[in-house]
Amino acid sequence: MRRRIAIIEDDPVIRANYADVLKKHGYEVVAYADRGEALAALRLRLPDLALLDIGLGDEVDGGFTLCRELRTLSATLPIIFLTARDGEFDTVSGLRMGADDYVTKSMSLPHLLARVSALFRRADLAREPAPAENRFERGPLKVDLNRFTVSWRGSEVDLTLTEFWLVHALSKFPGHVKNRDQLMAEAHVVVDDSTITSHVKRIRRKFGAVDPQFDSIDTVYGMGYRWKAEKS
Amino acid sequence: MEGGKKLSFFAAPGLRAKIALVALVLLVIPLVGYSYVKSVERLLRDNQQRQIVATTRAVATALQDRPRLLELRASAPATENPPRAVKAATEEVQLLLAGLARSGLRIWVVDSKLNLVAVAGSLDTLPPASADEYTFGVLERLVHRALRPVFERVLRVPAAPAEEFIPNDVVFGGREVERALDGSPAWRLRPAPADRGVIFSAAHPIWVGPTVVGVVVVEEDTDAIVWLRNRAFEQLVAVTLIAFTAAALVLLLFASRLSWRLRRLRDEAENAIDSQGRVQALVAGGHARDEIGDLSRSFSTVLGRLAQYNSYLEKLAGRLTHELRTPIAVVRSSLDNLRLQSPSPETAVYVARAEDGINRLETILTRMAEATRLEQTVRSGERERFEARIVLAGCVEGYRAAYPARRFDLALTDQPVMLRGAPDLFAQLLDKLAANAADFAAGDSPIQISLARATSEAVLRFVNTGPALPAEMGGKLFESMVSVRKERAGGAPHLGLGLYIVRLIAEFHGGRVSATNRPDNSGVVFELRFPVAA
Repeated sequence: MRRRIAIIEDDPVIRANYADVLKKHGYEVVAYADRGEALAALRLRLPDLALLDIGLGDEVDGGFTLCRELRTLSATLPIIFLTARDGEFDTVSGLRMGADDYVTKSMSLPHLLARVSALFRRADLAREPAPAENRFERGPLKVDLNRFTVSWRGSEVDLTLTEFWLVHALSKFPGHVKNRDQLMAEAHVVVDDSTITSHVKRIRRKFGAVDPQFDSIDTVYGMGYRWKAEKS
Repeated sequence: MEGGKKLSFFAAPGLRAKIALVALVLLVIPLVGYSYVKSVERLLRDNQQRQIVATTRAVATALQDRPRLLELRASAPATENPPRAVKAATEEVQLLLAGLARSGLRIWVVDSKLNLVAVAGSLDTLPPASADEYTFGVLERLVHRALRPVFERVLRVPAAPAEEFIPNDVVFGGREVERALDGSPAWRLRPAPADRGVIFSAAHPIWVGPTVVGVVVVEEDTDAIVWLRNRAFEQLVAVTLIAFTAAALVLLLFASRLSWRLRRLRDEAENAIDSQGRVQALVAGGHARDEIGDLSRSFSTVLGRLAQYNSYLEKLAGRLTHELRTPIAVVRSSLDNLRLQSPSPETAVYVARAEDGINRLETILTRMAEATRLEQTVRSGERERFEARIVLAGCVEGYRAAYPARRFDLALTDQPVMLRGAPDLFAQLLDKLAANAADFAAGDSPIQISLARATSEAVLRFVNTGPALPAEMGGKLFESMVSVRKERAGGAPHLGLGLYIVRLIAEFHGGRVSATNRPDNSGVVFELRFPVAA
């Protein structure tokens, strides 16, 4: 069965370009220019993944609204925000709306495709038990590379795809310092230093919500970040 | 921030000094008054002289009407004991003169042989001065008393001529007497003995028929007028001084208030835009209904517009990056599509070039967004205490890896350097300074980085050899979009935001930044001073 991706984007050229490349990779694509049209169509048949722009025509926050509406239709539908905005505030609001990832429009299409397929894999494997070889443990941390999930001391930490990749890159070799460029490469993002900083801040906060004593991510000033090797 | 030279309380010439200078105009009044007093004095003198001349004539006329009185004398032989009739005549003349004479006014009569017939009045006392009257009461009297030594030095003190007797040379050699004997009335001013003023003396012949039988001389001391003049002048000076002082005080108070209000307005206007570009409304004089209130209100209007413009600019960078992202996404997604179609080698070259261009464009956008985002972070930033030495040591370790071609010398103080701020931002500041130093450093001389403690400050320095800063750039270097880099074709884009970011972060930590050339112009010193957290 071909997977169905919905693109809701008001710029016709970008919409067409994205649709083209996704179709070429074997996905079925439906594209909409505004919120009303998209919601009416998606109510009838939910897609397997949704790519949302935030500003839709005259609606400045149309994407946020649509995301909320889609979440009420399905709690598991993978949603990626695709936007020209990259302000801290927008990122935070987007992720709070329950999106699985938040990427800027300037991201290259191969990177986008990697995200799309990763999210599909996560959605698929959530239903089946995962093979053990694609998991590793670092003390209380469990990383599942197939489902793109992370748990800390037994409880699931709800990370976005970008955040997952960052945690994965850090924890794979505990004690090794990863600089920002390496982290960006591993997370398939091209952003500035301060965005990595705020991603790390958010990851710490999410782990902190599960375990207030969490302090496994070290800032190594001038170099980058390091996952603390477990002493015990 | 560089400001114009401030006018401080004591700096000359402030508003108050100027108003006080204007008040000096009042000092012209005594000068004008003096010349007025002078002309009054002249008038009085003329009057006095005319009066004396008239008196002389009157006496002469009176004696002419009684020719007998002098004729008797003329005919009588000059003996020790004049006859009774002569004696009686003399007494009569004496009586006549006494009726006219007074203190300060002397009248005498000589016969044709210059024998003194009679004399009345004296010149040895001053006319009685009336009791001092002060228009402004006690105040004036005090001023008057204070000024008396000055007056005594400047003005001649009137004195009685103290001429008890008529000097012989006046009787026998006086010009007016001689001319009167020759038959014409005359007057002259002669100095009193011992330089005690001037005596006005008028003489008039007494005719009996065609012959002059005697002369009437009337003398008066002119110092009475001098006394009057002095008195008027002293009063004038005292009153002017009092008025001047009062006016100056009032003006000074007024000027003080004005300048206080203006200074308050200035201070507020100067601080209305804080280091992060936020504009605050003015409070000073906002409700005053005069020109200063007007000024304050129009300042507020201007500042309001500036605030609008600032927020427009702040949003502009954000909006610009947003608006440019969409076309970039169009180009990039199109290029990606093209590449996925496995283009021919010739086409691939152009695709690669186009991608290179779009990457550069994106770097620019990312940098702009970085500055904008940093401004937001700094505005809402939370501060924590951190040890700057650890951050600096870690960062320099990183730079040694990141810039293998450069050497970094680090000198750290032994004392703890705790700052209040954000270690992440502090590291970002160090990154920018290091990148800047690495770009400009020349040769293989090391980049010297030091962190020292000075009383309550931490001093961070980045020193590199290399081209000196152009003189005019010193202050502007830390502003947004200012760069001294030469354009390099194909190089990474430079927007002049790096040092602006340095300033933003330094100010977030309460610090100041400065860039100077090394004393021998062999390089540049970046110095940052931070207050140390307790």
